[in-house]
Amino acid sequence: MEVGGTVKQAVCKKNDLRPGGMMKATLGRMPIVVCRTLDGGFYAFSNQCIHQGAPMSEGVVCGASAPTDQPGEYRYVKEGEILRCPWHGREYDIKNEGRMLSDPNRRLPGFKVAIEGDDVVVSK
Amino acid sequence: MARRLIDTDIHERVLYEDLITYLENPWKRYITDCHWLQEKHMPYTQPAVAGVDRADARVPDGRPAGTDLAFMQQQLLDANQHSFGVLTGALDPSPSSMHGWYEMATALASAYNDWQIENWLEKDERLYGSVHIAAQDPQGAVREIERVGPHPKMVQILLPIDDNLWGDPYYHPIYEAAEHHDLMIGMHHNEPPTHFGRWPRYFIEWHTLIPTSHMIQVSNMVYNGVFEKYPQLKLMMIEGGFTYVPHLMRKMDQQYTDLRHEVPWVKRMPSRIVREHVRFTTQPMEEMSKHDFLQFVDQMGSEDIICFSTDYPHWDYDSPARALPALGEPLRQKIFFDNAKAFYPKLPEVHGGGGNRETSSV
Repeated sequence: MEVGGTVKQAVCKKNDLRPGGMMKATLGRMPIVVCRTLDGGFYAFSNQCIHQGAPMSEGVVCGASAPTDQPGEYRYVKEGEILRCPWHGREYDIKNEGRMLSDPNRRLPGFKVAIEGDDVVVSK
Repeated sequence: MARRLIDTDIHERVLYEDLITYLENPWKRYITDCHWLQEKHMPYTQPAVAGVDRADARVPDGRPAGTDLAFMQQQLLDANQHSFGVLTGALDPSPSSMHGWYEMATALASAYNDWQIENWLEKDERLYGSVHIAAQDPQGAVREIERVGPHPKMVQILLPIDDNLWGDPYYHPIYEAAEHHDLMIGMHHNEPPTHFGRWPRYFIEWHTLIPTSHMIQVSNMVYNGVFEKYPQLKLMMIEGGFTYVPHLMRKMDQQYTDLRHEVPWVKRMPSRIVREHVRFTTQPMEEMSKHDFLQFVDQMGSEDIICFSTDYPHWDYDSPARALPALGEPLRQKIFFDNAKAFYPKLPEVHGGGGNRETSSV
């Protein structure tokens, strides 16, 4: 449905996605990826990596090693909140506007998500 | 008109179980009975989501990336409308890397070549191949070059970059045979050619410095006079990128200016030898603007020495559509097609666009 230049569309059902999962969908003709974090939240992003256009939905939802001041220290955080590209492995922070962990000035374009009944509704 | 594309680095991959058919005994039994496989030491398997492969390149039936022609055709060759692709193997096995048992290495090279020809080169007219040899035994290597080098779809001889320096006169019979059969030399790094033959603590260190191992081989080939001795021979440096080349050219020229006396068989400036004999594949591309890109080209003094490559199916794959900045013609066509076409004399002429239908059959 297009309203005043915006596109709003039910892209999947809530139960289509388990917490920690993702799936590809389309918004209009635009390929998107819908992610569900472990706390149940839904997020939607472009399904093309901003680097070379890889299909993000072929990557993985995972966590990441937290920045640390101690060389050699690994602390795995943000489980279910990081979307990694299937090619070069770039890490995008799902709950932080899709920002890249290595360069927060760059981010995967995101879309608004609302839950309406059983529907996951994405709009831009 | 569709754009033409030659991909100078595609990694097909053999499973040892598929290689057995092409081996004689006792070599076959060493694999079936004794479970021989080439020792590999890389301590990291984690660089990207699916190890060293693109996560979406695993064959749908579960086999590893690069093992299935039909899937490669769908995901790479058809999707990007390749004109030609040059197969470079997966370096497992890598006969020229074996520290000993050269008889087994020679048998593996022959088996690999037969497997490659039957299952890839003769199944898709776009694909061209690399002759695998056991270079530690140059006479055996020459016999293998004589055996499969005349195949119309073999375009180069593959040498791994590890701890051998291939410019040494000991290996020159290989280059004589290559020149005789219109085969070029392709070099691709294998297990740790950097950090004094050992692994650094982190993958990111190793991967950052792979170009240093390529620099070692280029300078070794130049200073050992390979290109003076074999004037028709050319060398493709595969998967080291090209941004190190301006530095290397300048450094070699300065050294040659002062130290020529030590290598009197080198009669041209090293940078000129590089421009006339050495080519460099683009991947892995650093992200850069057109302005940045053109500065590198300017410093190399030639638009003719870099050739596009994807590195499919590996994790740091470069997309033909997205990896390079918009360069405009004719430079774009040089990098994506003309330079590689000029490099490999056995590639056929292409009439029309990028697909395989216009290419001459083999």
